[in-house]
Order: sequence, then structure tokens, then C-alpha cells
Amino acid sequence: MRFVIIGNGVAGVTAARALAEAGAEVEAYTQEAHHYYPRPRLHELLTGEIELEEIHFYSPVWYEERGIAVHLGTEVVRLDTMAKRIALADGREILYDRLLLATGSRPFIPSIEGMNKEGVFTLRTIEDALAIRRWAKEAKRAVVVGGGLLGLEAARAFMVLGLRVAVLEQGAYLLPRQLDAEGGALLKELIGAMGIEVVLEASSQAILGNGTPPPTLGGIEGGLASGVLLQDGRRIEGDLILVSAGVRCDVRLAQEAGLEVNRGVVVDEHLRTSAEDIYAAGDVAEFQGRVYGIIPAAIEQARAAARNMLGEEAAYQGTIPSNTLQVVGIDCTSIGVVHPPEGEGYQELRKSEAGVYKKLVLKDGRLVGVILLGDKKDVAPISQLIRKGADVSRYAERLLDEDFDWKGLL
Amino acid sequence: MDKWECLVCGYVYDPAVGDPDGDIPPGTPFEDLPDDWVCPNCGAEKDMFEKLE
Repeated sequence: MRFVIIGNGVAGVTAARALAEAGAEVEAYTQEAHHYYPRPRLHELLTGEIELEEIHFYSPVWYEERGIAVHLGTEVVRLDTMAKRIALADGREILYDRLLLATGSRPFIPSIEGMNKEGVFTLRTIEDALAIRRWAKEAKRAVVVGGGLLGLEAARAFMVLGLRVAVLEQGAYLLPRQLDAEGGALLKELIGAMGIEVVLEASSQAILGNGTPPPTLGGIEGGLASGVLLQDGRRIEGDLILVSAGVRCDVRLAQEAGLEVNRGVVVDEHLRTSAEDIYAAGDVAEFQGRVYGIIPAAIEQARAAARNMLGEEAAYQGTIPSNTLQVVGIDCTSIGVVHPPEGEGYQELRKSEAGVYKKLVLKDGRLVGVILLGDKKDVAPISQLIRKGADVSRYAERLLDEDFDWKGLL
Repeated sequence: MDKWECLVCGYVYDPAVGDPDGDIPPGTPFEDLPDDWVCPNCGAEKDMFEKLE
């Protein structure tokens, strides 16, 4: 049985490993020039806090030992679901018995003028991080378009590199997916105190700039970014523009092959796509209308996909979204349901004091979500209790106490 | 003793250090951590860790 995987990111590698452990021969094809690396660490590569050799996760020997053949720098250009065959960019055709689409996602490029000016970047790959690092040496002021996870981590990195930084967020508060209005406001305050400027309700209209880049950067012809023009007319100056405005699933291959695609490649609870013997997992997959875009989902989906590909029936039931980051030393955790709909049995318990914001979300007395900002005490037991859907109703407001014994509930 | 890295956030569990906040004393190998132990940095479960080779 030939198992073929397209993509060698978190989902691809996790599935390859699970298949190999079951004794299967696995081939993986990726257009990346590098073996798998964890993208959340790219901002450390950007600052030089880690070097290239340290960012890789598994050595080439690790793959060889497990019988996983990884073809780097090898783009798959076409998928033929009838012949059960994929076509590579170099013309070779590879047959498969079971195929996993783990093509991930790409940075969303807003269709605003000036995106192609020099000094404008997205951050997704090692190459991006190294290019930004080189550019940052000559830059004075970074503008980050998008105040989500990646944008804020990058803002910190730019500060470490000695640039002045402004973050532009089109929503009403930072980290709109992970925080709420109150948490977002506290984060803006804490970040502002560190020297990062934050502009909210800032929709970018165009990237401004003319001029020629300095000779050290090749003296390339064309416009040199000098700032961002907002829809409300404000101009934000900057000579390094990072666009971190979200990602879009890399569905081209699936779409052209006629698979059911919505925002992502649609999968059922067995991670099957609409085409026989083709599965999908990770950033590219859409389950019950959701595209998660986070590592824990990629891992869980990949493991379930591998089991199903091996003929075991393994039902995937969704992933509890979980994010933890540190922005300029600020701890921020968001797990589960943090924007509960009105009514429907949800209850929010909130407390904000001394630079710490805590929100617990309960549904019918069970813990279903948490936002914890400025502190990470008890994150681990709280996270486990959410996974268990623990009934905490009898503790009520005591749950917000500084010294509440969370570990005792496990 | 081997160090293990969290696949989700990059946190490295160093047995020499343990996880004092999580009641894990220094010198505890990863294999001996309880099944319900989670990453102190991000809450990811034990099965999301990989041995650092």
C-alpha cells in the first residue's frame, strides 16, 4: 500500500510518523527547501536568538530511520483522483493508494496598492525570516499590519532588533480571536508601556513609498516602502512593513482536482475528503465549517487521519483551540470558548486588577474557556479542566480568587 | 537524561530542572511524568512532546 503525503509541516510530519510507526512505507512531497520546522519559532530566528541549525526539529537521519522518504523542494502541480496519481513540477508522476493533503496555508495578501514595494514582507517560512532579518539591519521603523498572534510576536522581534514599531489592527482590539474587548485593552496598555505603538480600527488602504533601496540590499529598481496609508487618511511611517493579516488555506491542488473545497478542503470526522482514498489534515482542512490554523489541531487531525488511512476507524471530534504566547514578557493564554454567544447557558466570570486580566467561561456550570493575561499561574490545571469539561459551578466567584486551588480540582 | 520539546510552543522539558510549579522535582525523567502532566508554557498534553535528538 503506497502512502503519499503532500506537505511536510506539522500535519504532514505527524501523519508520516504515525504511518511509519505502524510499519507503512511513506513518501512525502514538499515544496519547502527545508525539513519540518516549528513556525512559532520563526520570530526567534528573525532576531537571531536562535540560528538556522537550531530551528529544525528532526534530523534527516530521523526520517531515514523510520522509512519516511521526504522529497524536499518538490512541488506537486496536479492531482488526478481517477488515476490515483500526482504530478510533480519536474514532470514525474507518482501513484498513490492513500493520499494525505497537508498543504497548509499561506499568508493572506490584502489587495492593496504597493504590496510589491521593497521592504514589504510576509512571515511564513525560514526564507522570509532571513530576508526580514537582512532588511531590518538597514531599517529604522517597522509597521506591522495585523495585530494578531504573528503580528505581535513579530513586533517584539523588531523591538529587540532596535527598530521603532507600530502595530495596525483593523479590529477594535488586539488578538481579536483570542481576547475580548477588556483583555485586548489591557494588552494594548501593557504593550504600549513597552514602547510598541498600537493603532486600532486601522484599515490599510495602500503601502506608500518611492526611492531606491541602499546598495547593501542590491539597489533593486522600484518603489521603496515608506509607510502605510489608512482608509481614514492617516499615514503611518515605516521602512519595513510586515503584513500579518491572517492566512488562507492552500487549496489550489484540491480545487483543481474537483474536491469539495469551502475555505479549506472539507473533511468528515474520519478526515476523508470528497475524493476516495484522499484525506486532509492541518491548516488546509476544514472540519464542520472550521479551519483551526493552530498546531494542536494539525497534530490531532494528522494522527486521526493516519489511523483512518491504515484502515482503523478513528473519529476526530474537533480540537479545543488553545493559544499561549509571550509578548515582550507578557503572558497571554486563551483556551476554548472565549466569545460565548448571548444566552445559551453561558456565564462569564471576569476580574481585572494590577495588570492581570482573567476571564472564565462556563456553560451550564462546566468550564469551557479561559482568557488569562499578564499571568500564567494555573494555566496547566485550568487547561486540563476545560478538556474534561469539569463542573465548577459550586465554586462560583471563588474561581477568580488569586489563591484558588485549581490543582485540587483535578 | 533526554530533553523533550513541546511540539506546540517549543518549550523544552529539561529533566535536570523538572517542573517545580507542577510539583515535578529536578531529576525526573520525561517518561516518569504523570499521564495528565501538561506543558507548563502552553498546556499541551504529554503526547504533544517529542524527544530532542
